[in-house]
Amino acid sequence: MARIWQVLTSGMSKYIIVRLLQIVLVLYLYMTLVFIILEAQPGDITDIYVGNPKITPEAREAIIKQLGLDKPLHERYLNYLKNFVTGHLGCSFKWGNIREVPDPVCREQRPTWDLIKERLPRTVLLFLTYTIISFYIGFFLGKLIAWRRGAIIEYFSTVVGVVLFTVFTPWFALLLVWIFAVNLGIVPIGGFINPDNWRVVERVGTVSRDMGVSLSNVVFNYILMWLGGLTLVWGVIYLVSQRFPYAWQRRVARWGSVCIGLLAMGAFFGGAWPGSADQAVIASETRFNFFLWQLEFPAGTIPLFPLALDFVQHMILPILTLTLISFAGTMLLMRNTMLETMREDYVMAAKAKGLPDQVVRDKHAARNALLPVVTSLIFAIAFSVDGGVFTETIFSWPGMGKLLLESAIEQDYPVAIGTLVFTGIFALVAHLIADILYAFLDPRIRYD
Amino acid sequence: MTTSTSYPVLQVEHLTMHYTTRKGVVKAVEDVSFSLNKGEALGLVGESGCGKTSVALTILRLLPENAQFLGGHVYFFRDGSDEAHVRRALGKPVKILLNGREHQGRLLEVNRAQLVLETQLNGRSQQIKLGRSDITHLGVDLTALSDEEMRPIRWKGISMIFQAAMNSLNPVYKVGDQLIEAIQTHMPLSLPEARERVAQLFQLVGLDRQLMDRYPHEYSGGMKQRAVIAMALACDPDIIIADEPTTALDVIVQDKILREMRQIQKKLNMSMIYISHDIAVIAEVADRVGVMYAGSLVEFGPSEPIFKSPIHPYTKALMSAFPSIKGEKVKLTALPGEPPDLIKPPSGCRFHPRCPYATEICEREVPQFIEHKPNQYAACWNPLT
Ligand SMILES: Nc1ncnc2c1ncn2[C@@H]1O[C@H](COP(=O)(O)OP(=O)(O)OP(=O)(O)O)[C@@H](O)[C@H]1O
Ligand code: SF4
Ligand SMILES: [Mg+2]
Repeated sequence: MARIWQVLTSGMSKYIIVRLLQIVLVLYLYMTLVFIILEAQPGDITDIYVGNPKITPEAREAIIKQLGLDKPLHERYLNYLKNFVTGHLGCSFKWGNIREVPDPVCREQRPTWDLIKERLPRTVLLFLTYTIISFYIGFFLGKLIAWRRGAIIEYFSTVVGVVLFTVFTPWFALLLVWIFAVNLGIVPIGGFINPDNWRVVERVGTVSRDMGVSLSNVVFNYILMWLGGLTLVWGVIYLVSQRFPYAWQRRVARWGSVCIGLLAMGAFFGGAWPGSADQAVIASETRFNFFLWQLEFPAGTIPLFPLALDFVQHMILPILTLTLISFAGTMLLMRNTMLETMREDYVMAAKAKGLPDQVVRDKHAARNALLPVVTSLIFAIAFSVDGGVFTETIFSWPGMGKLLLESAIEQDYPVAIGTLVFTGIFALVAHLIADILYAFLDPRIRYD
Repeated sequence: MTTSTSYPVLQVEHLTMHYTTRKGVVKAVEDVSFSLNKGEALGLVGESGCGKTSVALTILRLLPENAQFLGGHVYFFRDGSDEAHVRRALGKPVKILLNGREHQGRLLEVNRAQLVLETQLNGRSQQIKLGRSDITHLGVDLTALSDEEMRPIRWKGISMIFQAAMNSLNPVYKVGDQLIEAIQTHMPLSLPEARERVAQLFQLVGLDRQLMDRYPHEYSGGMKQRAVIAMALACDPDIIIADEPTTALDVIVQDKILREMRQIQKKLNMSMIYISHDIAVIAEVADRVGVMYAGSLVEFGPSEPIFKSPIHPYTKALMSAFPSIKGEKVKLTALPGEPPDLIKPPSGCRFHPRCPYATEICEREVPQFIEHKPNQYAACWNPLT
């Protein structure tokens, strides 16, 4: 607690505020750029309707007026900014309404914001999971191969890592699909859920029954919240463990997380959560089979475990692909910076202090070697957006990347703009989080 | 080398260590022997690159990967009542000082009443039984310990102030926490107790206790130096090795810190090895002095006689190169010639190309390291009188 307070009152809060202001500025520039690019496209938006014989020139004029395309450029630009700030992202040209009570503005069409709200969490989960896994594997292997120079694991992981790092990515992704989904059949080929698993789930509140995907979204967000809560609890355990005598810290952190994790997992997976309004629940008592054991859920509850498992199955392949492709970069960088920090005097001093080998390696050498690696992670985030488009397309993961590509191809301008802007916001926020993480890791940053 | 009143805490015998490099083998430590007594300040002096740091690192077994330990013993003494120490010594080469006699051998067995020692006498091995309670000086050979057995010796037995002391603080942790880390590794103290101990240590070295919650980059050079000294004192070590503890500081601070260190050492009755290339510093702090040249010890003895009437020509040259006004730094270039290349050191006495007293034998044969005057040892064919 004292630590948090001290960090906040020292340079840290100032640092975050400055970063936030910078991000708002960058976002503004980015949005302007998006506007300019769209304006610079040949033709205009109403061209989509030209090929449609049902639309008369008069109707076309009406559409132009309705969309505000008759106004001068600067006015449209200001409108664009104003709409964004006030949260009006427009209506999709292609996606129809799925709610029982249609949106008052968009009526028969689906609001862009509705689409983004649905897609963004999926992308966030996929990329967060893969980033953490691949970063951790890279960090861990890099640390080990630097510490034990010349071990078999060094040659093996370096060769494998470099091969995967340089392989042609789409080809490699398809290869994995072919092996694991087509030939072995252990994971689904693609998609987000298996509708069969969702037959028993019914709507409560405003989500309609026949739209399994949207229903799944409700459960999905619920699960995301759980994960966020667990992360928070883990953070608290970590802070508490720091208060213990040195020799106990690791044990307290490890066993504390294991215990609370198990408890939470048990409650989460085994528990039948009572459903409330605006949530998805099962209509009648239902049994789910899992390998050897059977779980029963009474009617009117949310069977989180079986549903979560459905998501997890669909995430395995994309995450495996992304991780295999990208862990090597982190690993090689970690290895190099680790070799450098191992030569530092404070590492020698840590050894001289009689600390266990593992503590010297992890707490002193790896901890410092981590800093440049986190910097590289910050830069990598900016480039992960294009990776998102291709991954989501190959694995038909209905996230922001896929939505961006589809709406761009189908000239669904409101959605394309909204997706572009929110992808940008996503990247910027990820950047901010990584920046803050870095400032936490390196005390020297906070005081500049 | 022991007298009746003083007894050793560390005996270094025939230490030899080389570095393998692409250019060749650097013979950084050649047959170095000395001993350090309880409560004594020992100075190791010699030109830059003569292997002073290497000796320290060999003792603590902190050598880099390219170092090759080629032989020698480092006996670290503690009281025979120290259970952990005796257990550590079991099966290892040991040295036992008893009634003015030295027993050397391998410790075969330990029980409540006695120690069983296997010694070599005239090529035959024999077993000696020694009463447990009599043993007040049990030395275990550190070179024979495993890394895990060595760990409790580090910092609790022998701690070190590194040459680049400023860089031996990890930039990402608070200074106080880095001391607490060492304390809690070796002493059964809770966090508040350890913090209190750090506060006391900070006071001892003249630092404000508030500073313990600051990061190293918030410290000035002198403050870092003091923090590192406090860190070396953290676990109440038997021995502190201070490798050029003050070279990075300006002369005034340097002098002040040196004097304070000397006071603390006397107050806590600690044994200390000061390493410096600056003979003025050594003259100020050391009770006994070892002079190193090109990887070997060339002269060893109590500081006063050594500085008054050195036996080895190199010691004499060192002293005349430095004006006696302490603190004023003059480069050793006053000594003609270059320090030798340790990859291809000169034959015979390594000092002979630069020695004004060199004779023909100096080139051919390595002089023995022998006692020329009472307690004053040197390796020279033509000792000065
Ligand atoms: N890791 C290493 N690899 C190869 N050679 C080394 C290594 N460390 C030291 N040496 C060499 O060994 C010799 C002795 O070095 P050492 O650092 O012990 O000298 P020193 O007396 O402490 O000198 P200084 O006063 O500069 O600290 C030098 O010639 C040095 O170049
Ligand atoms: S042995 Fe010879 S060369 Fe060496 S110091 Fe003595 S006199 Fe000089
Ligand atoms: Mg040195």
